[in-house]
Amino acid sequence: MALENLSRPKLAAGCRWTGDGENRVVVFPEGAIRLQGTALAVLERCDGTRTFDEIVQELVTVYNASDSAKIRQDAITFLERLQQKRLVDF
Amino acid sequence: MVAAKSELGTHEWEAVFQQAAKIGTLHVHLSGGEPLAREDLTQLVSFAHGCGLYTNLITSGIGLSQQRWDELVAAGLDHIQLSFQDSREAGANWIAGTRAHAVKLGIAAMIRRSKLAFTVNLVVHRQNLDHLDEMIALAESLQPERLEIAHVQYYGWAAKNVEALLPSRTQVLESMETISAAQKRLLGKIRIDAVVPDYYAKYPKACMGGWGRRQMLIDPKGTALPCHAAAVIPGLNFENVRNQSLEWIWRESASFQKFRGEDWMPEPCRSCDRRTQDFGGCRCQALMITGDATATDPVCSLAPSHALIEEQLALANSMANPETQATEQPDFWTYRPQPK
Repeated sequence: MALENLSRPKLAAGCRWTGDGENRVVVFPEGAIRLQGTALAVLERCDGTRTFDEIVQELVTVYNASDSAKIRQDAITFLERLQQKRLVDF
Repeated sequence: MVAAKSELGTHEWEAVFQQAAKIGTLHVHLSGGEPLAREDLTQLVSFAHGCGLYTNLITSGIGLSQQRWDELVAAGLDHIQLSFQDSREAGANWIAGTRAHAVKLGIAAMIRRSKLAFTVNLVVHRQNLDHLDEMIALAESLQPERLEIAHVQYYGWAAKNVEALLPSRTQVLESMETISAAQKRLLGKIRIDAVVPDYYAKYPKACMGGWGRRQMLIDPKGTALPCHAAAVIPGLNFENVRNQSLEWIWRESASFQKFRGEDWMPEPCRSCDRRTQDFGGCRCQALMITGDATATDPVCSLAPSHALIEEQLALANSMANPETQATEQPDFWTYRPQPK
């Protein structure tokens, strides 16, 4: 499945956040993942209302990034992988 | 089987969940037996959810009415796993010993109408691997998020039926191809999790993620165990949640400490590069097959006792590939007797 600019990514069925601060993880059937850095920044913004385009723009701002194409590509790779694991829908 | 009155009561289970959440547990799996047999199940799910735990219901689905399902959903259940014995009604009922199959299909449809995570669990073995593609197609039609293809493991009652259950090498290799093709076809739609059965693998599984590393099992009477089979290991005193805190049992009790670390490992495990990945395999399996719970899991190709597994495999590969057996074969399976 391909992620598009106007997709509104969100956590898939049965996947949710739990814990707080540095103990914040995503729990899902048979697992849990703790994310850091840009991975965390991307997934936190996948709330089903923001478009992928909006998420990338926010990250570019937050990270004061010059290379928005790289952020976009990294985020696509990351989210498509999570979608294949059925953690994310878009 | 356990008499109902010696099982933990509702408040005792709630205390377990509260302690579990406090020591950092993320997931609780409500399993059995059959968890639907407990009338307070919805209340327990609700309480566990309130503690912040991710709740998983592992069930045959038998007895799950629409009303009960709606209540469980409203209580905050996160995930349900429904197991299937076969795609064919006769086969499924033959193995389970009941008329469960048709009822399960209706229950799966009911589950799918809701928004929870839904896993279909297919139990595979020698008697149904020849039509694995059909079982996968059935699972696919139920539209779960996840499909787990679980080779039977030879503990408990399966150990008494191992000759009828252990597949041939051809069956295993063909099943790996079938699964790989299904994973590609269903990529992004259904996540398929499957592992090569350990008898046919080169190295053992990291059983339970390691003894006392990732998971703790509390049985209906409150006994705390590192896994389902651990009671087979002699010389271990398992604690009860009625008497000790979960935290103490997990961190300090002799039974949970027994196979942690590396000091207990014999060679070749002690010097093996894989010891931090597979922890020497399964202690219960080592005990059951070699008589020594500290031995290298015999499924490991490096285990001194590996010949015992090879004997079992030679037998499985010398018998003719089974066709679906007629149901009138009363002695084919050894069943657990009904409790009195």
